[in-house]
Amino acid sequence: MSTDVLIDLLQIIMLTLTTVVVMLVAGFKREHGLVNVLTTAGLAASLLVFVFVDPVLPLQATELLYFDEYSLFFSALITLGALSVSILAYPYFESHNSHNEEFYILLMTATLGAVVLACSTHFVSFFIGMEMLGVSLYAMIAYPVHAEKSAKFPLEAALKYLIMSGLTSGLMLFGIALIYALTGTMFFNEISPAIEAQDLASSPVIIAAWLMIISAVAFKLSLVPFHIWTPDVYEGAPVPVTAYLATVSKAAMLAVTLRLLLISDAFQYEALMLVLTVMAAASMLLGNLLALLQSNVKRLMAYSSIAHLGYLLIVIIAAASIPGILSVESMGFYVAAYFIMSLGGFAVISAISNSGKELDMISDYQGLFWRNPWLASVMITVLFSLAGIPLTAGFMGKFYVFTNGLQGSLWFLLTMLIIGSAIGLYYYLRIIYAILQQPGKISKQDPAMQAIPFGTHAVLGSMTAIIIYLGVYPMPMINILQSLAAAF
Amino acid sequence: MNVDLFPLVLYSVIVIVLIVALTAVSHLLGQKRKDHATDEVYESGMLSVGSAQLKISVPFYLTAILFIIFDLEAVFLFAWAISIRETGWLGYAEVFIFIAILIAGLVYLWRAGALEWRSQRQRDDRLHTIGKSGVVNIDKKTGKAHKTEQPKQGGAH
Repeated sequence: MSTDVLIDLLQIIMLTLTTVVVMLVAGFKREHGLVNVLTTAGLAASLLVFVFVDPVLPLQATELLYFDEYSLFFSALITLGALSVSILAYPYFESHNSHNEEFYILLMTATLGAVVLACSTHFVSFFIGMEMLGVSLYAMIAYPVHAEKSAKFPLEAALKYLIMSGLTSGLMLFGIALIYALTGTMFFNEISPAIEAQDLASSPVIIAAWLMIISAVAFKLSLVPFHIWTPDVYEGAPVPVTAYLATVSKAAMLAVTLRLLLISDAFQYEALMLVLTVMAAASMLLGNLLALLQSNVKRLMAYSSIAHLGYLLIVIIAAASIPGILSVESMGFYVAAYFIMSLGGFAVISAISNSGKELDMISDYQGLFWRNPWLASVMITVLFSLAGIPLTAGFMGKFYVFTNGLQGSLWFLLTMLIIGSAIGLYYYLRIIYAILQQPGKISKQDPAMQAIPFGTHAVLGSMTAIIIYLGVYPMPMINILQSLAAAF
Repeated sequence: MNVDLFPLVLYSVIVIVLIVALTAVSHLLGQKRKDHATDEVYESGMLSVGSAQLKISVPFYLTAILFIIFDLEAVFLFAWAISIRETGWLGYAEVFIFIAILIAGLVYLWRAGALEWRSQRQRDDRLHTIGKSGVVNIDKKTGKAHKTEQPKQGGAH
């Protein structure tokens, strides 16, 4: 192992070190503030590693991890998400729970799993990363179960996630086993040559294997028809965990899936493309339609995330017929934009909630603009961006998706995208309407009028700034993405 | 081989008829009493105490899971041990890190009280009745072990 490998591994080493330190400190000194500061500092330090350490790229570090600009981009995004969640979690848990320290250990292990996913080009690291992320998330979702009046149904949500997730892990393993049985390799890039060499492309077993893997991925990405857990888990989990689930877990899974599909040449199977097309169309339509019926903001965000992942699937499907560079670039942009918007939205919900009481009904946001203009403006920016209004990151993302769809001539999916976005506009604007209405009675105990901690302000401010920056001047981001996409 | 099954069938039918008949006749003709001792165990046994639905202590589960963790460690170490020459110092360093992280986990569990057989509440109760110096505090009036102060809620690991 050379020094180059160690430098590339530095981000993972930083995260692991933070996990162990946080665990030991939690054992010896139970102090929420201290543990939170350590976790945040550890995450910030590993984020700084990205900026100051110039890694040797691309590099295979051990058989399992592969470092290139693509994996670094997604790792940085994941670490940024974890950092924000850690900052949001402190005021959320501080007031009501007694044993908060373990939450940060789980947060760190989940982040480690997500980073492993982003660096994975091998089925073993794919599975390890997925499980590390999943197992930590079960416990994180159920975390406030001891609080008297916690988030409504954390245990139910965690059990649902556990059972469904266990099932899909099984499916995934079965798929991996079938592919390994036929090709004798677990490296993504060796699958396609092995299949060609043995002329297996039309074998039903290989298609079954791919379908199993895609179903497992679709579950984690909550694509219709594997979306049933999403609204319940989003609603039941405490807000910081919902934010984590909506951003980090999805981004990591998308990163590894796009890489897997691109470099293992899975687009040659027509059955697989048909399944993906049906899932994309159903996700866009059902996600947006069901979101219309929601009165709970967290559930609404869940359905909106189903719809957004449907949009993203267009990019993945289009990758079959357009150059890989454009699809990686588009996907990177959309994921980053969605990541930032979701974090901003959940940061607002988190700012007026705590583990004792969560304000997540649309009616709770009535007149927010008059009670707390700052929070309201952030929320409105986020919602505009989610709806894809120009001058926001969401618009640029949707523009990319549209370009991909046009280049790949996916007319059916583009129609669905337009219908979905039109429906989407309605329910996003419904929340904005509620925010701008006159408030009923303003009480002094109104959580929206309490002082918001500095950290939450920082998260809210930076997310809003990034949304607008990416919408107005996306060139620097596009340049980064183009350079990392050049490898594909 | 042709076995004549008729005797067996007849035997089974007779058994069933006999049982049904005996139960039915005793149900119809027998006394129906509901006394103090009717439902008690009367033969060569002690009177039962408490419910049959025992609460099994969680530490059993904990012991099992700890056993599995360290068993797994042994499995990994075994794989390393047979390839110790091939993996060299790098392998040694990796195994060292692996064990160090496991030990850190053990230290955490220890501190968090996972290795204690008694629950936090039982520990508090015991402390209050026996006291730190081992003296049992008996309340003179009630004759029971006496509690000096309310047990602390949670915390204090």
